[in-house]
Amino acid sequence: MITWSKDRAEAAQRILGSYPERRSAVMPLLYVAMAEYGYVSEQAMRDVAELTGLTPVQVSSVASFYTMYKREEVGRYLVSVCTSVSCHLLGGDDVLHAVEAETGVPHGETGPDGTFSVEHVECIGACGGAPAVQVNYELIEGVTPEKAVELCQWLNATEPDPLLGDEMQALFGGQRSFDWGPSESTGSKGPVPAFGPYSTAGTDRLAGP
Amino acid sequence: MSERVTITVDGIPLEVDAGELLIKAAEDNGTYIPRFCWHPRMKPVGMCRMCLVEVEGPRGILLTTSCNMPVSDGMVVHTESETVKKAQEGILEFLLINHPLDCPVCDRGGECPLQDQTLSHGPGESRFVEEKRHFEKPIPISDLVLLDRERCILCARCTRFSDEVSGDPLIEFQSRGNNTQVLTFPDEPFASYFSGNTVQICPVGALTSKPYRFRARPWDLEKTESTCPHCSVGCSIEVHTSQNEVIRYQGVDNDDVNWGWLCDKGRYSFESVNSAERLDTPLIRNASGQLEPASWPDAMEAAATGLASIVEAHGGNSVAGIGGARGSNESAYAFGKFMRTIIGTNHLDAQLGDGLDPHFLVGSTPRGVINDLDTAKTIVLWGPDLKEELPVLYLRVRHAAQQGAKLIVIHPRRTGLDDRATFKVVYKPGEGPALLNKLVEGDPGLAEVRAAINEGPVVGLVGRTGLTEDPRLAEAVAAFLRELPKATLMPLARRSNVYGALDMGVSPRLLPGRVSSASESGKAALREHWGSLPDDFGRDTIGIIDGLADGHLKGLVMMGSDPVRDVPSGNRAAEALSRAEFVVAIDTFLNDSAAAADVVFPALGFTEQEGTVTNLEGRVQKVTQAAPGPGQARPDWSILEDLAHRMGGSIGATSVNVLFKEIVTVAPAYRGLTWVDLEFGEGRDGLVMPLEEGDQPIQYVAVDPGLAPTKAPLALHSARTLYDDGVHTRFGPSLERLVGAPMAYLHPDDAARLGIPDGGEVDVETVQGSARVQVGFDPSLAPGTVFVPFNQGIGQNLGSAVEVKLEVVS
Repeated sequence: MITWSKDRAEAAQRILGSYPERRSAVMPLLYVAMAEYGYVSEQAMRDVAELTGLTPVQVSSVASFYTMYKREEVGRYLVSVCTSVSCHLLGGDDVLHAVEAETGVPHGETGPDGTFSVEHVECIGACGGAPAVQVNYELIEGVTPEKAVELCQWLNATEPDPLLGDEMQALFGGQRSFDWGPSESTGSKGPVPAFGPYSTAGTDRLAGP
Repeated sequence: MSERVTITVDGIPLEVDAGELLIKAAEDNGTYIPRFCWHPRMKPVGMCRMCLVEVEGPRGILLTTSCNMPVSDGMVVHTESETVKKAQEGILEFLLINHPLDCPVCDRGGECPLQDQTLSHGPGESRFVEEKRHFEKPIPISDLVLLDRERCILCARCTRFSDEVSGDPLIEFQSRGNNTQVLTFPDEPFASYFSGNTVQICPVGALTSKPYRFRARPWDLEKTESTCPHCSVGCSIEVHTSQNEVIRYQGVDNDDVNWGWLCDKGRYSFESVNSAERLDTPLIRNASGQLEPASWPDAMEAAATGLASIVEAHGGNSVAGIGGARGSNESAYAFGKFMRTIIGTNHLDAQLGDGLDPHFLVGSTPRGVINDLDTAKTIVLWGPDLKEELPVLYLRVRHAAQQGAKLIVIHPRRTGLDDRATFKVVYKPGEGPALLNKLVEGDPGLAEVRAAINEGPVVGLVGRTGLTEDPRLAEAVAAFLRELPKATLMPLARRSNVYGALDMGVSPRLLPGRVSSASESGKAALREHWGSLPDDFGRDTIGIIDGLADGHLKGLVMMGSDPVRDVPSGNRAAEALSRAEFVVAIDTFLNDSAAAADVVFPALGFTEQEGTVTNLEGRVQKVTQAAPGPGQARPDWSILEDLAHRMGGSIGATSVNVLFKEIVTVAPAYRGLTWVDLEFGEGRDGLVMPLEEGDQPIQYVAVDPGLAPTKAPLALHSARTLYDDGVHTRFGPSLERLVGAPMAYLHPDDAARLGIPDGGEVDVETVQGSARVQVGFDPSLAPGTVFVPFNQGIGQNLGSAVEVKLEVVS
């Protein structure tokens, strides 16, 4: 029995309708389920299995392959620091250590108060503005260790909601990759990626309240 | 005939089928290319990279995996060049990065592809000095299978098998990169009927089975090819024995039958062969009514005297025989000959209330073989749930449907094949005849199905969907299907060697060799061989039970049968046994029926006797002795010969070989067979024996589909499940735990209407009996249906009546 909110249950049906094979919908449905439960719980995987006609273990095979499907509860702010080549060369590791020290959360973990989750990630496509950081998948480029500390303090103090990449870039960012043009992001309301108009799940935001 | 192309492998030109995979084409022509993930019965994935070879092409010589490279004309392949060797050594060095090399304590050691190919194709030394992966070991992934993850080389054979072949993908790769591992979902064990196959095809020792783990080293095992006795599919197996004990069965790739697969019931039933509960001495009922061990001469004397006195007092016609389907053709033939010539009765039956006309089972034309499924455009299954009753046939149908054959499944409940079915029709038991009429007449509701089945070749898989169904329905369905374009029929019955027993004439309606007992010329021919043959009417098992219960019959000989557990009205069978004046049982276990006998003889079972069996295609296959039997057990035919001797006659059963030679002389359908052919010649995969021209084929007369449907407010569907409470599950410690609890399943709507909660208790009542069971919900049932699995603690007492009543207890 699937007990998702009405909006999400409808979103799930819309997603299913856009693929000729039901199992193709597994990945977008996992995001919907993640939005519903806050993370990809066992029940979330059972739900997606029921929707796609797969077995739960097949869904879990997909969910456990991709790191953006969080299988444990995530903090309010998911701070992802890039440590791939460009960012690494320009001090991404120092940024990560600064974030870890400021939040007290080692990478790969969530703090006990549930405010921060910290992770290091592979390339997030911002090599030109390295080192880059994402908070709830909203991008900030040209981040120094000092600015990263300020970013964390700001998040803690002001609890912004929604969270806007452009705003954080202005406050804590430095060199950007190139001129981005008009921002299309509607901001993030939680640590579930919101694809905005480019979402494979349609135009609706899937993130939770 | 597919197109042939010429390729060159290591300088040798080969002519092979176009489109064949390079690894297979090379192997068939004598060049073995090492591999782990590729399995000839599954699709290639190219995961392990072990089968790298060099192929010359327009862009120069390229290293490529031969398992997913189809051959093309003029292809030039090198499998032993320096580059190939270096590549294969490199791959093996990588595969061994994490493999623990605990071969001395691993079940697989000695028969392990990784061990063998490391020796033949490996680098000899590894440059990796880092710590290996460690996991908790072993973890049980089901009741039968254990997983040691650190041994796994991630070839995906097991996960692909469970997805592609058996259709229950309950194991899958989890996580990524260095953390990749095969696992089940939490609280969802690998509860597949076919899980043992993953253990057999695992190229390392990552998957092991509980019944075999740490029990033997492969090089200590003696291997004997035989045929699985647990259903009528007749899978080829290898019996592995050590020090006169059966240690395990392995599937053998028989191209016509099982493709190397086995079901878990077949694979792990060897435990019951070794059971301490096996009968190992004759038993006689003593003065105080207890069965007590006796010597062979005493038991023989008691049985012979008992039977002879009944024959003398009431005529041979007052004695009946039930059984013959559990053993070899030779035993069945001896049983039939004993009953007909020594006792002088036609009351004998190898089917235990299965209901199907024996003429229909062995005489339906045009009779199909399993391989017809692969060339069929359309497969119609109106019969048992194959996954439960004929599991490996289920795999073959599943494969055919996956390859593109249209599959139409008609059954009162969900079946294992539903997810592959083009059309699935569910109906309420009793309403089958009406459904058939609709199908025949092209009712608009079934127009699509009707149109689909018109495309030939059609294979009709026809049997009883359950024990409450009118058996004539199957015959009517067959009569309809046989008229479809290029149709072949496979009439289905599950009982192990029932087709063989019927071919041996263990039926009131048949004589040996698929000859009707109504055929005068057939009877005359048989009289020449046998000397005598009773002329009277014969009863089938249900008739025999009725006869014993009402006193028309006085004596009974059972051979490998358990009517109390096995016929749809077991309580009536028990009553009949208690009324009988004298009962002789020849069996491997003291089952519920044998326990009511006056004399019980211990018989040798499977793996303990030579002989032949016949599967549902009419394919004759060899069973082989691999171990001695327990205690004083003897072959059933030899017990019958001894009995015959003491009753003043003989059935000529001096050896099983002599019996077989008599069968090929007497039974027209078996003419020309030899054991040498079956064991070493073209018959290694078994030989389908057709009737020759000039023989007297039995005429199967189709019934008119004007059968009246049974209208019942609540209709009973009672069907067998794989792990029922039979002797081979009850006396096998591993399978015993898998036997389901007694249950009745209802459609949730019916349950709501009747006010029965999920898990509530009800009394299920039919005119023949009643049983108290728990209720489960099953939305796949047609409304108004009650499904009770047969012989799971209960069920055998409910009989074959369609109409059923439910009394809510709680």
